[in-house]
Amino acid sequence: MADLSTLDATAQAELVRSGQASAAELVDAAIERIEKVNGELNAVILPLYERARGAVEQGLPAGPFTGVPMVVKDLDGTLAGAPYHAGNIALKNANYVADTTSHLFAKLQGAGFVIVGKTNTPEFGLMTTTESVAYGPARNPWDVTRSTGGSSGGTGAAVASGMVPLGHAGDGGGSIRIPASMCGLFGLKPSRGRISLGPDETEAWAGLVMRHVLTHTVRDSAAVLDVLQGYMTGDSYTAPPPARAYASEVGADPGQLRIGVRTTAPLGIAAVDPECVRATEAAARTLESLGHTVEEASPAALDDGALLEAFGNVMIADIRADLLDVARILGRDLTADDVEPGTWSSYENAAAFDAASYVAVLRKMHAWTRRMLAWWDDDRFDLLLTPTLGGVPPELGYLTDPAEGLGRMLPYAIFTAPFNMTGQPAMSVPLASTASGLPVGVQLVAAAFREDVLIRIAAQLEQAQGWADRRPPLHA
Amino acid sequence: MADASLDATAQAELVRRGDASPLELVEEAINRAEKVNGELNAIIHPLYDKAREQAAGALPDGPFRGVPVVFKDLNCQVEGDPYNAGMNAAKRAGWRSDHTDALAQKFLEAGFVCIGRTNTPELGIVPTAEPLAWGPTRNPWDTTRTTGGSSGGSAAAVASGIVAVGHANDGGGSIRIPASCCGLVGLKPSRGRTSTLPDTTPVDAMLNVELCVTRTVRDTAGVLDAVHGPATGDTVRAPAPARPYTQEVGVDPGKLRVGFLAHNPLGTGEIHADCVAAAERAAQLLESLGHTVVHEFPAIAADPTLVGQFTNIWAAMNAADVDAWGQQLGRELTADDVEPLTWALVEMGRGLAAPDYIAAQRALAALQQGCEAWFASGFDLLLTPTLGEPPVELGHFHTPEEPFLGFMRAATFVPYTPLTNMSGEPAISLPLHWNAQGLPIGVHLVAAYGREDLLLRVGSQLEQAHPWADRVPPVHA
Repeated sequence: MADLSTLDATAQAELVRSGQASAAELVDAAIERIEKVNGELNAVILPLYERARGAVEQGLPAGPFTGVPMVVKDLDGTLAGAPYHAGNIALKNANYVADTTSHLFAKLQGAGFVIVGKTNTPEFGLMTTTESVAYGPARNPWDVTRSTGGSSGGTGAAVASGMVPLGHAGDGGGSIRIPASMCGLFGLKPSRGRISLGPDETEAWAGLVMRHVLTHTVRDSAAVLDVLQGYMTGDSYTAPPPARAYASEVGADPGQLRIGVRTTAPLGIAAVDPECVRATEAAARTLESLGHTVEEASPAALDDGALLEAFGNVMIADIRADLLDVARILGRDLTADDVEPGTWSSYENAAAFDAASYVAVLRKMHAWTRRMLAWWDDDRFDLLLTPTLGGVPPELGYLTDPAEGLGRMLPYAIFTAPFNMTGQPAMSVPLASTASGLPVGVQLVAAAFREDVLIRIAAQLEQAQGWADRRPPLHA
Repeated sequence: MADASLDATAQAELVRRGDASPLELVEEAINRAEKVNGELNAIIHPLYDKAREQAAGALPDGPFRGVPVVFKDLNCQVEGDPYNAGMNAAKRAGWRSDHTDALAQKFLEAGFVCIGRTNTPELGIVPTAEPLAWGPTRNPWDTTRTTGGSSGGSAAAVASGIVAVGHANDGGGSIRIPASCCGLVGLKPSRGRTSTLPDTTPVDAMLNVELCVTRTVRDTAGVLDAVHGPATGDTVRAPAPARPYTQEVGVDPGKLRVGFLAHNPLGTGEIHADCVAAAERAAQLLESLGHTVVHEFPAIAADPTLVGQFTNIWAAMNAADVDAWGQQLGRELTADDVEPLTWALVEMGRGLAAPDYIAAQRALAALQQGCEAWFASGFDLLLTPTLGEPPVELGHFHTPEEPFLGFMRAATFVPYTPLTNMSGEPAISLPLHWNAQGLPIGVHLVAAYGREDLLLRVGSQLEQAHPWADRVPPVHA
């Protein structure tokens, strides 16, 4: 059999379909790979091996990914009967087990995927690194002294190290794209309303959160998006459906696109590491060599102070609302001991935040969004190219420093978070590495609801400058 | 030539055939306005000269080219025109719009000519058009009674025959309530069907949606075709229709399964016998057309916490609205600047914690899931009376010493309509019944999310089976 650690989900599904491998073999092999490297990486924190084997024994649904093993993040969705701790010590100590299955997990299982474990996440996904007090740090397979990024860092490490071909992730400020950049993966955050968060949620963080997967290949990401996208009963709003399947965009000619590039941080608020600038400039040249027009340009609204004010206020209000939900789960009021210090201070800061101000902040955010989107809609740009991150993967502990951590996170979210606020589709493409061999992603952002454009251009870049052969030092 | 009984579709046809000019239609509408508006107080900002000028000029070649219309003075802003949103503070400041919003743009691109802006309660809060700033709009069926609100000015203008179409919007029933009170067709489209960017954002779009009041189902369908669709920045978007809505008019809806609800599931008051009778007769009519009517409704519609959650959201938005007006007018507004109920809601919104607002939004989501699941379990429509009472006397909701008493009276008056603002589902009020006093009593039909097509099909079927075109109010142009 082929080396399963290097096969993407589409290829593994083909093995099952053609009878060259059974689902049980794929699942057992994935569990073996997890057992081999997870001790060092701490990517999978809640193995679901028996559940996975049981699902295979009971017979899997016939779908595009029947028998393919995957992991899901321990946040951004629940799986009935499986633990859900969200990186939080109180939920962990209470041994909390979820009682509903989120639509997106049901859709993944319906497509034939077998969920073999849940992955590490910072507490409630609030950090750009995966180092919770509850579960300890996930380590980067490219350098185990460094961060995987966050908040979907456990999934990032699991996929980058070859444990599984892909894994579920969620993104409220960059949490798909940040670990994609740091772990050398492809990570696409879909448009607001593209994937249902139901049945328990309709929107998270006022619409900033969207969920999807981290993958090696563009085709896997596109095919899973086909599985996950679309209205589910009771969704408050839904992105307009695509004209055709996203999988059919892979390899389709993107045409000649007009691309603006920007390498300085929005608001000039953080220095950008020269390695990240170089990666972006190299990507610009690659895009030009593919026939696209690249010019230095970006939406003026990226330098508008409304951006940070809105993001911070939406976050703290929703953190408080989420913690009140946790209190309901635990059946008691929360105390400072139940959450990490940064989370607790957000919780306390939000106490005085009134509903009228919250509505005003949301309206301001949407008005700012309109100014942002005009750059694509009215100024006729197809894509914005930026570094995914302002920095290279930092040492573990750097972003969790009690005094400096919050400020240090800024360069790691400043390029990604604006597009959570606008709800646009955005992706990190693993096109570069630092001199010392650490992965560096570049971000491309399309007009509202145009994942099709992203997938076409990502596939073109993947073909022109493939990353499939790059393996981290720590690999299963 | 055109008279007050012609609907907008017929008027547009006159222009298209060359049987009337836009200027003639507009002059006639202005004449009708001058005849009855003194009594009704429907139009508060006449724009007659501007309308004449537009009608005489090069109008866009849209489906309603040259047809006169009125815009409610809440949203649907046109650059340079007076704009008060029912607020005395804005009236005193002589406020005028500094831009044209996406919705007004679409009305104008369709060829409509706006002859004036119509009365609305302050910020559209209460279900009657009686702002202190502009005084009451009077119901053409009985001038001592309410037109309903908040789109009461537009409804009076259409019911009295001044114009065939009046812009309206609906965040808690404000299209359907005046449609019921004035004997008109009022469709509240699905959440996200229309856009008023940049003034209202996706936050507001969770409850509020824009359209119109009309006398015919085909006019409502035609206007919906003309003005639906998103603008840049709209993230809350209804799924696009399969075909133009005008093509649904007259199409056989098939045999439908209709749930029936004519008691007050929230316990905010009894439903008046006239309103129950209207719904019961509509049920009989639907059955005579081959549909099945069963006494069932979404159980979650009886959740007693809904009124509080809805009020929380309204209070927060209202407080933010008043703050935004203060910024616009260049000074902080105080209790003296707004009506007592408005200020009570401002204080409530400011006193509410942001997470409680988020919790209220989550409660709406649960309601929507419950309602949609009910439709998915085998129902096509829900039938209710539009209102809990016939049009009440003017002044009924104005309780300045005890502002929330008026608000609670409103809950008794409108027990059904806010549910579909919370669920996002489309709903229509049809003028199928008049009580013994000759007052219109509307009937309310709700469909699953995105199914305006079904409401228009069944609406036109009912219009044909039980026509209301010959019903004319005592005050008529």
